[in-house]
Amino acid sequence: MTDDTRVAVAFRVNGLAQRIEVDAGETLLRTLRDRLALTGTKEGCVEGECGACTVLVDGKPVDSCILATAAMEGREVLTIEGLSGSGELGLLQQAFVDHGAVQCGFCTPGFVMTLTALLEESSSPPPSEVREALAGNICRCTGYRQIIDAVAAVIAQGERP
Amino acid sequence: MSRKASIAGRERQRYRVREVLDGMQFRRARTVDEAVDLLAGLGDEAQVLAGGTDVMIQYLDGQITPETLVHIEGIEELATASLNHRTTLGPLTTHRTLATDETLVTAHPALAASAGMVGGWQTQVVGTVGGNICNASPAADTVPPLLVADTQLTLASSRGQRRVALTDFFVDRRQTVLEPDELLTAIELDPLPRGAGEVYLKLGRRGAMEVAVVGMAVRLGFTPDGTVDSAAIAVCSVAPTPRRVPDAEAALIGSTLEPAALDAAGEALRAAASPIDDARASASYRLRTLRGLLERATAGCKEGATP
Repeated sequence: MTDDTRVAVAFRVNGLAQRIEVDAGETLLRTLRDRLALTGTKEGCVEGECGACTVLVDGKPVDSCILATAAMEGREVLTIEGLSGSGELGLLQQAFVDHGAVQCGFCTPGFVMTLTALLEESSSPPPSEVREALAGNICRCTGYRQIIDAVAAVIAQGERP
Repeated sequence: MSRKASIAGRERQRYRVREVLDGMQFRRARTVDEAVDLLAGLGDEAQVLAGGTDVMIQYLDGQITPETLVHIEGIEELATASLNHRTTLGPLTTHRTLATDETLVTAHPALAASAGMVGGWQTQVVGTVGGNICNASPAADTVPPLLVADTQLTLASSRGQRRVALTDFFVDRRQTVLEPDELLTAIELDPLPRGAGEVYLKLGRRGAMEVAVVGMAVRLGFTPDGTVDSAAIAVCSVAPTPRRVPDAEAALIGSTLEPAALDAAGEALRAAASPIDDARASASYRLRTLRGLLERATAGCKEGATP
């Protein structure tokens, strides 16, 4: 630590080891966007209500806007950028495009991350589980139907996203 | 909080990463001993941080200004749950675990239901039951189900340990008997007995991501002929703290949930409530929902009671 108020954190982001110093109250969202230039993760409500900032920590969806980066020691973070490292869209991302599930697009990375976690947990979740999993993601364009359709298509294909 | 305060908090956070430091420190505790030693030294300058779904929002909004965050999320001994004749929950048990762990769901169906209604998946996987208790929100969803299960808390400090009944834990809105150097280390509660049923009902303006307008947990035991022989009723969002309502419980014991008994219990619930008007509902609306919620909750208990 350079001084008392800086916290050293070692964690992984999209498979890459990061060792950085952050402010004690700095959020994971700020670290991702402003320090690591991963701006795919969006800032919406900044109070854990809307899900635009959803990333996966150790495979579970979390609101990065209310998570302290200092608490990420040893954890594995996956952001939307980590889903298409090869430059090609994943199945779920492609399904969003194919089904017109992207309107203004601001909520999209959050939805994709939550659904990625869901499909990792269970390969064919029933529609009720899909909707319940998305309770913490809000789309102000209200394009939920297309999003549900996109997930259904991926589930029907029977492949991992 | 006001819209203005919320925007100010957001700006504060935006600038922090560039240059503004507020001098807050961060300490990681790996064991209970480490945590209580830190708290003993820091006193009320410290804020315990677990999942952070309440603490981080309050910090970002400027509602709390701790000098040090004591991060306890990595203390493994506080994350285990065990079931015997009493259930012991580590305070780091997450809402997601309460809502989905099959053993816990069977033993504590109302608690599971309440945990599944706190925010969304993103907050349930990090938010903890200990945090929901210690945050002492009047609307804490998991607290009414814990209250009807006769929950006892263990509070530890470098001075030793003490046990406090959850009914005695809350002093006022966001105020508890927890001393600044104390840490909640165990939550003990009674599983649902045979022949009993329990329900948590949450009244809100929408189906998800809601703060309760009124929350009600009821646990009822029945004799074979359907007479209520034990009753526990607790409510949230109708008073500064979640609370048991013994007068309402007494009104149901010996009844078969006939309208007169429900009327008497409903009247006792209203007498014990002192709700406020806020953005979610008026005080008078909250009062008027109690009798109806009680009828639905008690019917649910009867239906769900194990034979």
